[in-house]
Amino acid sequence: MPTSLIVQAVLSGITNGVIYALVGMGLAVIFKGSRVINAAQGEFSLVGAVIAVFAMKAAGFSYPLAFVTGAAAGVLVGIATDLFLVRPMVRRNAEEDSFLLLTIGIAFAITAAVLFFAGRDYFTLPTIGPDGVAILFDATIRYHAIAVIILCGVIVAALRFFYRHTRFGLAMMAASIDADGAATSGINVAAMRTATYGMGGLLGALAGLLVAPLVPISYYMGLVLTLKGFCAAMIGGLSNPMGAIVGGLVLGLLESLAIVFVASAYKDVVALSALLVIMILAPNGILGRAGRKGG
Amino acid sequence: MKSRTALVVLLVIAAVLPHLLARHYVDLLVFAAIFAIAGLGVGVLLGHCGIVTLAQPVFYAIGAYASAIVTVNLKLSPLLGFGAGLVASAAIALALGWPVLRLTGYFLAVATLALTMIAGALFFEWDWLTGGTIGIGGIPKLVVAGVTLDTPLSFYYLAWTIAGLAMLLVHNLVSGRTGLAMRGMRDSLDAARVLGVDVHILRVQMFVLGAMLGSVSGSLFAHYTGYVSVASFTIDKAILFLLIPVLGGVTSIPGIVVGALFITFVPELLSKIGDFHGIVFGIALVVVVIAAPHGIVGTFEHWLARRREARGGAAP
Repeated sequence: MPTSLIVQAVLSGITNGVIYALVGMGLAVIFKGSRVINAAQGEFSLVGAVIAVFAMKAAGFSYPLAFVTGAAAGVLVGIATDLFLVRPMVRRNAEEDSFLLLTIGIAFAITAAVLFFAGRDYFTLPTIGPDGVAILFDATIRYHAIAVIILCGVIVAALRFFYRHTRFGLAMMAASIDADGAATSGINVAAMRTATYGMGGLLGALAGLLVAPLVPISYYMGLVLTLKGFCAAMIGGLSNPMGAIVGGLVLGLLESLAIVFVASAYKDVVALSALLVIMILAPNGILGRAGRKGG
Repeated sequence: MKSRTALVVLLVIAAVLPHLLARHYVDLLVFAAIFAIAGLGVGVLLGHCGIVTLAQPVFYAIGAYASAIVTVNLKLSPLLGFGAGLVASAAIALALGWPVLRLTGYFLAVATLALTMIAGALFFEWDWLTGGTIGIGGIPKLVVAGVTLDTPLSFYYLAWTIAGLAMLLVHNLVSGRTGLAMRGMRDSLDAARVLGVDVHILRVQMFVLGAMLGSVSGSLFAHYTGYVSVASFTIDKAILFLLIPVLGGVTSIPGIVVGALFITFVPELLSKIGDFHGIVFGIALVVVVIAAPHGIVGTFEHWLARRREARGGAAP
């Protein structure tokens, strides 16, 4: 087996991995903030990307402006999800399976809405930087993919800084760790949960905006993104958003190596089987307890 | 007594109705019966064990493929097809359910979703067995007591009879000791354990039962349409089968019927606007979960019970 093939697999694995990591981080942020697994996380990505595409096509926005619009749409969808849908259920003390059904319903409605309004087309966004490839050890990687990897690093660092060193971020953390304690120290717990959903929406939309230039996106892709993101978050340990980075990279590499060594058709089978095995055997993720401290 | 009269009236309506409707609507009613059986399996797990399963399309597909392979490839009797589907789905549900049902809540739901996606990929790749996207056609029509069920009208009676029997079976099951154990398990896991309920085995048993209902539903589907392919076993079906009990009411048998009628007739009523029914399904799910957590029929039943209590009457 030529080395270039393996290097190629590793490069594409890392590229996919950081996208999975972004979706996974969005899931983990919402799980940490509200103990809800958001089955509509991949649909947030769909919304971000599709809004950006239409902002460019229909409204004639420039690419940077459309990018910001898409990200803002993600934040708004996240906030609306909490305000109008999650909040009444929290007030009712609804059970876990009700929240799950709720987010499944949201996911289904968003997918169907994109299908209805945007059709079955595949959408792409322009690349960040020049649209070309760099050559590394006889393997190629698109400049956009390099930009995505760097941007993901920046997002992770920013997120870590936000949660550890800003008042707002610390308040969000406090509200999720000990709601009563946070409330007595004057933190508006409900508002913090709304902010958490906004953050989840932002991370989801960013994943969609960054992946759209690499893989054309269509209405049905939210579910697969959710599952891959969940897989990434699960491998890294759900309660630690930073674990999703490790999880995303492991998953991305696992998939691309499965394509080389097994068959491309079994890519999803390998990834999802890994998810099942990890959930059953290592429910805290491969980082175990050590991973929990990081968040 | 009153509820028995109501049941008889309903049965008479159900028997006469298809003669009054256009063939197209009878066709939808047949699909409602087929989907109700699969939805019933999901409802048992959700309503009595608190398990959200998205794996029902796997067993629905196993039933459909078993019937197709046994009757078309092996040229054997349709009954053997039903039997093969039941055995295969029970065995696979047992093998998968044993490890997977150690999970609970969100994790279990995601695991069942992963099972459906894995199975979908395998059905697609194993075209030597399933025919892949081309599928398997020419599945023979069922013959019951010398009558070939080759019209929606004739199939209607078989499908609803089987659906009715399945509902009766589930009703008896949940009214008995098993049902008590299940509700105990759903409401307080630890209390049920202390009382000697083997929670894991009970959950696996119910998972197997749900899978077998899915398989019967799939076999009926295969014989009714005469053709099966991977296109019929997508993830959309998982949502449809989940919608049936959730919309109607997870613990309500009439609720299953209402849910099944909803998911078959709403797309038809909205077909003029295009692919709009998906949005309605999604919104219906969200609205029911937020506003009527017992489902449409379940909420109505609760309201009736409260009213009866308010009047000081005893429950029947």
